[in-house]
Amino acid sequence: MGSLAQILVNGILLGSMYGIAAIGLSLIFGTMRIIFLAQGTMIVLFAYLTYWSFEKAGIDPYLSLFTVVPLAFVMGLGLFYLLFRKAAALEDKNVSLLLAVGLMYLIDNLILKIWSATPRGLNLSYSGAVLVVGDIRVPWLRLALLGLALGSALVVYLFLKKTRVGTAVRAASEDMEATTIQGINSVWVCAVSFAIGIALAGVAGVGMATVYSFDYQFGFTFAIKALVALALGGMGNVFGALAGGLLLGIIENLAAYYIGIAWIEVASYGTFMLVLIFLPQGLFGRRALVKKV
Amino acid sequence: MNQLLEVKELSVAYGDVRALWDVSLEVEEGSIVALVGANGAGKTTLLKAISGLLRPLGGHILFEGEDLVHLNTKRRVEKGIVMVPEGRRLFQALTVLENLRLGAYLPKARADYDDSLERVFTLFPVLKDRMNGKAGLMSGGEQQMLAIGRAVMARPRLVMIDEASLGLSPILTRTIFELIVALNEQGTTVLLVEQNIHMALKVCDKAYVMKTGHMVLSGTGDELLANDDVRKAYVGERGSRL
Repeated sequence: MGSLAQILVNGILLGSMYGIAAIGLSLIFGTMRIIFLAQGTMIVLFAYLTYWSFEKAGIDPYLSLFTVVPLAFVMGLGLFYLLFRKAAALEDKNVSLLLAVGLMYLIDNLILKIWSATPRGLNLSYSGAVLVVGDIRVPWLRLALLGLALGSALVVYLFLKKTRVGTAVRAASEDMEATTIQGINSVWVCAVSFAIGIALAGVAGVGMATVYSFDYQFGFTFAIKALVALALGGMGNVFGALAGGLLLGIIENLAAYYIGIAWIEVASYGTFMLVLIFLPQGLFGRRALVKKV
Repeated sequence: MNQLLEVKELSVAYGDVRALWDVSLEVEEGSIVALVGANGAGKTTLLKAISGLLRPLGGHILFEGEDLVHLNTKRRVEKGIVMVPEGRRLFQALTVLENLRLGAYLPKARADYDDSLERVFTLFPVLKDRMNGKAGLMSGGEQQMLAIGRAVMARPRLVMIDEASLGLSPILTRTIFELIVALNEQGTTVLLVEQNIHMALKVCDKAYVMKTGHMVLSGTGDELLANDDVRKAYVGERGSRL
């Protein structure tokens, strides 16, 4: 069975989607301290927009990155100021969490209304192209997903490390009040990190549209998978979140191959529980997703 | 007498719990003013209200004659009021230099970034040596220097330092106080909240004593050091905290 290598490759390619979503969750959680459960639904929404612009206007999905991602960023700013600005300032994070859940179902049902329940997917002229290395087969489109994930991680990393606002985001995720004391507008800092989180949902949405078939119910599962990836990788580290995503992809593929397809979900949520209990700071994280008392 | 800061009959509450009752205080330009009192007297609350983190119920906060009550923290930092919070509140995972950069975040301060950085490194040479190290890995004394340095980066007119000596050894406390005096001699006005009352009263030009949310006494440092009530209540007979 020369297929262990194939399983690992498949896992990494699947996991790159989780990775992009997890980086977004990590940014939003870092500053606002909420688990943004609508992240998966936002990804599905942007997948539909990508699908739409391909079907209606024939725009290549990779070209629509340049429209979908900026649109996602602006939508992120809008959602933040409309929904989360006040809630994020509250001590009680349940308000934000419930808002995110409400937003998730709202968008799910909007998608259902607009695009119906029929699963959609893109049929691109180059969908079938496969890279063959030895006995490993890698569809080009999935490889491109990995590229998107690595590229996103790198851009977010550079933003956090090299820009002024990025430094402020890191500061705010450590101590919001101390950030305010420096004269920094911490509401804007939250807005920017939220918007980048949604822009990443835009990237993941384009990626999803190119590879998967998707329907309106796909979002919640995806958000949970991103959360599992984040728990695996650990908070406070962009590449940790990405690595968590890749690892989750690998775990799921291993489970599918060695135990059976039906066990994929059991394996990933089982991992989730184990990590939360025994390794709450994740594999690469600085801070626990759940605090140990 | 040019008053840089005038707090007039300020009242603050946390929800239903009143924390400050009609507190007034004046800080003359170029001076060091100490604010002392027992735990829970309202000193930190007063600093937070002055820096805009807390909204007062009533009263006025005049800075160079202008009422700041309706300005947010950012605007107050722009005006030159900068706080060094209790417990230092450094960004531990960030480097020393990144912490200093965040201190000079606002455009006006950023324009003077190079000068400010040199000034901080002259005052605190150890920060230059540890520039690229993580702030959280430094000793308590070094962290306090960084906290003050971060405030200096904002080009403050008034620095409010909350419990600079907390958790520091007597020798380090003395060092920090000397540095605060040096900073003051460079022209920065200082409002000092201190548990180490003896030391604070020695370096200040004027001091205020707070008790359970009220301003109860004020005078020069020497006057208060000579005051029997102050000595008994806070200083200890031999100034034993030193």
